[in-house]
Amino acid sequence: EEEKVGEEKPEVLSPEELEKLKEEVDERKKLISTLRGKPWPMRKKLLTLRESHEFVEKYEGALGKGKSRKLYAYKVMMLKALMGRPYGSMPRKTVPRADEANAMDFAVLWDFGVITNCLFGYAQYSVLFYGYYNSQRAIGWLKFRMPLSYFLVGVGTVAYSYMVVIRTMARNANEDGGGDNNSFNFSWKMFTSWDYLIGNPETADNKFASITTSFKEAILEEQESRKDDNIHLTRFLRVLANFLVLCCLAGSGYLIYFVVRRSQKFALEGLESHSWWERNEVNMVMSLLGMFCPMLFDVISALENYHPRIALQWQLGRIFALFLGNLYTFIIALMDEINLKREEEEVLKLNMTIWEASLYNGTLGVNSTAPPITVHPADIPRGPCWETMVGQEFVRLIVSDTMTTYITLLIGDFLRAVLVRFLNYCWCWDLEAGFPSYSEFDVSGNVLGLIFNQGMIWMGAFYAPCLPALNVLRLHVSMYLQCWAVMCCNVPQERVFKASGSNNFYMAMLLVILFLSTLPAIYTIVTIPPSFDCGPFSGKSRMFDVIQETLESDFPAWFGKVFSYASNPGLVLPFLLLMVLAIYYLQSTSKSYKQANLELKKKLQTVSRTINKVLTLIQHLLYSLCGTCTDIVCSPESKKKGGEHRAHQGKSNHQIPPSATSPPAPRGHRIPGPLPGNQWQPAPSVQRVPNSQRH
Amino acid sequence: MSCCISTMVSGAIALAFLPLVLTFIIRYRYYFVLFYRAVLVRMWYDCTTGLSREERAFQYVLTHAIPGDPESILETFDLWCSKVEFISNIGPKKGKIMDRILSEHCPLTVLELGSHCGYSTVRIARALPLGARLYSVEMDAINAAIAEKIIRLAGFDDDTLIVSPSDEVIPRLRADYGLERLDFVFMDHWKKCYRPDLQALEGSGLLGKGSVVLADNVLFPGAPNFLRHVRKSGLYEWKIHRATLEYSKGIRDGMAELVYQGIK
Repeated sequence: EEEKVGEEKPEVLSPEELEKLKEEVDERKKLISTLRGKPWPMRKKLLTLRESHEFVEKYEGALGKGKSRKLYAYKVMMLKALMGRPYGSMPRKTVPRADEANAMDFAVLWDFGVITNCLFGYAQYSVLFYGYYNSQRAIGWLKFRMPLSYFLVGVGTVAYSYMVVIRTMARNANEDGGGDNNSFNFSWKMFTSWDYLIGNPETADNKFASITTSFKEAILEEQESRKDDNIHLTRFLRVLANFLVLCCLAGSGYLIYFVVRRSQKFALEGLESHSWWERNEVNMVMSLLGMFCPMLFDVISALENYHPRIALQWQLGRIFALFLGNLYTFIIALMDEINLKREEEEVLKLNMTIWEASLYNGTLGVNSTAPPITVHPADIPRGPCWETMVGQEFVRLIVSDTMTTYITLLIGDFLRAVLVRFLNYCWCWDLEAGFPSYSEFDVSGNVLGLIFNQGMIWMGAFYAPCLPALNVLRLHVSMYLQCWAVMCCNVPQERVFKASGSNNFYMAMLLVILFLSTLPAIYTIVTIPPSFDCGPFSGKSRMFDVIQETLESDFPAWFGKVFSYASNPGLVLPFLLLMVLAIYYLQSTSKSYKQANLELKKKLQTVSRTINKVLTLIQHLLYSLCGTCTDIVCSPESKKKGGEHRAHQGKSNHQIPPSATSPPAPRGHRIPGPLPGNQWQPAPSVQRVPNSQRH
Repeated sequence: MSCCISTMVSGAIALAFLPLVLTFIIRYRYYFVLFYRAVLVRMWYDCTTGLSREERAFQYVLTHAIPGDPESILETFDLWCSKVEFISNIGPKKGKIMDRILSEHCPLTVLELGSHCGYSTVRIARALPLGARLYSVEMDAINAAIAEKIIRLAGFDDDTLIVSPSDEVIPRLRADYGLERLDFVFMDHWKKCYRPDLQALEGSGLLGKGSVVLADNVLFPGAPNFLRHVRKSGLYEWKIHRATLEYSKGIRDGMAELVYQGIK
């Protein structure tokens, strides 16, 4: 290529120069798009790419075709962080004296467990956790209602998530359409898979690969549907497999319970006396079990001899059960800790009254008017804030889960690929085809991991408000890391099949996880009273009292009355009943519409098949009449796509049978002439032209 | 860093690794069984009896097979390999594939590299048409002696068993034995020799258009250099027949069938 990078852009360009420049830019763009397929060494490719990019960007602006950039807005709870006042400005945002020494200890920060120590140190008093937020009802000159906003954002996030998930499910259900996809499966795939609008060779390769994959899937399905075996042995093996899986689940549940109990014992003895391993035992065990048990389930499911799709669904169900078991064991343990902290709080409250009394005791009499004693905020004994503790536990869980994922990726995928690649030259057996080989990219496992990660975020978001922001960061990093890992180290799965025909399978799982994750958070909001001295709800008897307060003080009186009428059980129950009946009605009508749709599709198929038969008959008649091979009219695809003239059509030398979804193009008496797509002059009469024109 | 790992801590975390260990054992159980049979049982028998593995095999075949009947000899061999010990012959399943290929092509001149105990020699000889010649190359003298005995037991004449390494024989095939063209080549010797031997065959000009090369065990233990050469050179129409390793159910293996196309 010519080196144009150093060229100076002239101020004024003549039309010829402009044209030449445009051509050059187009050529460079084409080079960029086909660069990947060229057999050059990587360094050369990268250099060429950089130069071409620079060239295109530099001169495209001169030609007046600048690109606009899109800005992506992220949903971060910035409002609360902005409206709250900064560190140190009020008592509960100051680090207590006892912890001051630890919080800024750099030795602690640079320890191996830097993240966990950070959590227990400085960050404890940051915007990350519940304890940062003040319970002052209205803040600043805008009178921002901090506690109300905290509560509404927390609850609103959950409601919004439900809405988004269900809306996506509804949209996917519309696209799916239902229908009979079982007849003439291979014919459909064979004749209707290709996309004639493809012009790029790389896209064509990708399309070819995806069509091959779908054929493999269909063949596998056919094979599976023809197997028949000894039914009793199969049933026995399935029962045995389920029993083994249950044993594994029970074992993992017990192990988690055991380590959680031990960690509570450690906590009672004081965390400093234990090593890093002991402090983080729970998270490590949970992450390890979550990683290894699915592999064991996969191996056990080989006993069951199911259709691959059913086997995959069972596998996903078992992983689901494992995750739920682990998480709920964890939550039960967390409840125990919450109760412990609340007892501590009671004791502390008692001690505080005694301490305050002792402060005033020695200095004042009953009727003196001396100035009140100022106590440094750091010296006031601080209550154990159970909400912050809960938030911390969740953040720790997410962090350890993230770390486990990344380490698994690095060791299980990357290191393995490196070993296989470089040891293969000097090893006795073929490492790529045999034992370790490259790891497969497990689509369903990864999707499930994402879903579970989201579940944990939903669970902890109320007590650690910046958790979703952290998760967005983690997801971005994960995306790039996994993208790289897949391209660099993975091979596709051997058995090609999907977990289910519709996209709604995973969305339904997401919905169930949403429900199950928000349950504990809502339970704690409704039943457990908040801490007395930390968080936006401190001092109230229940967290949702803030709504009551707002109604009483910020809204006119009649509003409160209307609300109390509306929340009367006598009104709410009939309303719920009405909603249930409406759901039932909608469900039954949608079922009947689906049926009607199916029948219409079938009718359409039969009609088009009939037309096809009639036309074949006419074709045979023409054969027998004319005695020569006639070139039947070009594919109906062009008629279907609005008569767009495409250059590819001229290259297709074979006939394409019309697809059954649109009626075939009307066929007249066609004179044998040049192939379709080329220019030909239609002769006015139906005179037979000798075949020599055709090739 | 004061992470002193107390016994109970490592106990809990070690237990968490148990599913991984179980998965490993169950998923690769066939490899463990193979290791047991091919290595441990062999070492045991080597210590208790004084004979080598091939001699033990020959003793068994001598006492249990019907002389003069190749079918019976092959069956006895298979029985011994699946029940008593493990020797890496071609085995019944892959042997059937080879028989089919032989009957399709009906070669007249066959070269076999690595006959080991003579199992594949007998198998090929059985499937050849009348008038065909089979040249068998075996590097190890003791194995060659046993192979000779087995071939004689099966009723074939055995004057074409060449005892020398394959890389020495191939350049001299044309000169010493007067061969013009090889219709069929069967490779079952050391996997790392597949590629050099194939290149030697190409160089010697003994492969003509339509010559078939059948290479065994290209997936396990595997001959990646050979496969790479085959793919890159463009001289062959190649195909891999997938099957399982001989006398083993779960280990996947394959035979590569190459049809020489000639230089375009």
